Amino acid sequence: MAHDVEVLSGRARFVRALLSGYAVLIYVFLFAPIFLLVLFSFNANRYGTFPITGWTFKWYRAALSDYQVHDAVSTTIKVALQVTLISMVVGTAAAFPLVRSRLPGREGIRIILILPIMIPGLLIGVSLLVLFTSTFHWTLSPETAVIGQAVYTTPFVILLVAARLQGFDAALERAAADLGANSFQRLRRVVLPLIFPAILAGGLFAFTLSLDEFIITFFLIGGHNTLPIYIYTQIKFGITPEVNAVATMLLAGSLLLLALAFVLPQLFRKARRAGARLRAAS
Amino acid sequence: MSAQADTAAARRSGRRRGARIGSGLASYAGFVPAIVLLGLCFLVPLGIIVCYSFWETIDYEVVHHWTFSNYTYFFSVSAYVSTMWATLWVAVVATALAIGLAFPFAYWLSRYVPQRLRVPLLVLVIVPFWTSYLLRVYSWLTILGDQGVLNRFLQWAGITNHPLGVFLYDRPAVILVLVYLYFPFGALTLYSSIDRFDWNQLRAAMDLGASPAQAIFRILVPQIKPGIITAIIFVFIPILGEYLTPQIVGGTGGVMIGNLIVNFFQEAEYTRGAAVSLLIAGFIVVLLLIFRKSLSAKEAYGA
Repeated sequence: MAHDVEVLSGRARFVRALLSGYAVLIYVFLFAPIFLLVLFSFNANRYGTFPITGWTFKWYRAALSDYQVHDAVSTTIKVALQVTLISMVVGTAAAFPLVRSRLPGREGIRIILILPIMIPGLLIGVSLLVLFTSTFHWTLSPETAVIGQAVYTTPFVILLVAARLQGFDAALERAAADLGANSFQRLRRVVLPLIFPAILAGGLFAFTLSLDEFIITFFLIGGHNTLPIYIYTQIKFGITPEVNAVATMLLAGSLLLLALAFVLPQLFRKARRAGARLRAAS
Repeated sequence: MSAQADTAAARRSGRRRGARIGSGLASYAGFVPAIVLLGLCFLVPLGIIVCYSFWETIDYEVVHHWTFSNYTYFFSVSAYVSTMWATLWVAVVATALAIGLAFPFAYWLSRYVPQRLRVPLLVLVIVPFWTSYLLRVYSWLTILGDQGVLNRFLQWAGITNHPLGVFLYDRPAVILVLVYLYFPFGALTLYSSIDRFDWNQLRAAMDLGASPAQAIFRILVPQIKPGIITAIIFVFIPILGEYLTPQIVGGTGGVMIGNLIVNFFQEAEYTRGAAVSLLIAGFIVVLLLIFRKSLSAKEAYGA
């Protein structure tokens, strides 16, 4: 609409050039800090800063041979897997009634389900800390951190799956019912395959969020470390290139997962369509 | 004939059965796990925080003794009260800057960028938002710190011969990093509402004699107001609960209320910490209630 042939006046062209320059500055602002962090992780300079005194992988080698990093990585992954599983199951289950039931007060329930995203993580962290240590007298562990993170990640899965369910053609399910499928069969053979890409994306999303989560974990994990907690304890003593290397790896991991969260559901849909065509052809 | 009527009836009832999919008590069963998780581990703990804020800690033991003393204590220490005001001030300034910077960007993206480039350029803005929050804060140390890029540059240029501490450990650094953290959020929310705007209206206004600024503020801005409010609220709220940014780049000069809360809880002053937490939570709930009509979580999270 806006881009039909529009004769721009000199002034409008000036405004466009100005705004484009501004946008370039914005991208520099957004990426410069991250770029420098990655850059310094390959810099031989042991202060983790300019000048560049040579290129090296030694900070990566040092980081990868550090047992604290090993510990943190394995805790991070264990926690993230549990968080992902919980939020996929709980989130998917909740998305159904959220979209389909005509429950009175559904809006209220919707708000409560989404609230953990809106409220600062700090409040989730401290309130669960009080519940676990003061009310239940539990010892803090990676498992208590899992519960805390799941509170925060589940709403994201709910949002993703609910959006997919909303766009879902209810006629398909009715057709299956007309053809005699019972409700379990309809769920198993019609609904779940169609919303699976959203569940998968939700899961990958939850995994990424869990990987990077700091404040809830900080309160609930007790004596253990996840990677963000490890990095935090290290930077109290200043910047080191090893921390930059760990940070870069964490960054690469989350970017990879994010890319998967966008690409995998699409691949999955394509594969299903190709499969359906093959079956139809044979 | 009757067989036909039977199948027709069956089809009708099937259709009715189909229409009822999703109603009935059984379909609410899906909420049960979420109610257990979010009820037991989100609402109940918040309720406990409310109770704690009205109880007392005596010799590291929480005594179930209803009192306002946690609140009166908080407001009696002037350092706490000034931190509270400073937090609100930082949140207002950082939100205004983030949204103010995001508006021209979203305007540019939706008005001057060709359709096929818009989504990739938008994704490029959002990518940093979905990477580690801790790392985005930390990365500023490499720029602002004593050994940071800025100090290195100034020394190299001969402007100073010792690292300047002025870039870090104060409010401006906190505000800068907060703007950095929440800019993508503002840009995304503003873009998704500006993108639905019909630019012909702007042209029409200008044809009728409005200046470009008048056209923007009297035609565009009123129409995207819900988007602007959503962006403001969703940037403002998390800043109120910031802990990490003031902790890493704020030093003693940049303390925010989140740091007070963490300190209370780390010193096992649960009831005092609970009272401060409740002050923030209460403030957020009031904000959400006031603006609930204009807020769209959908828009904000793109789901």
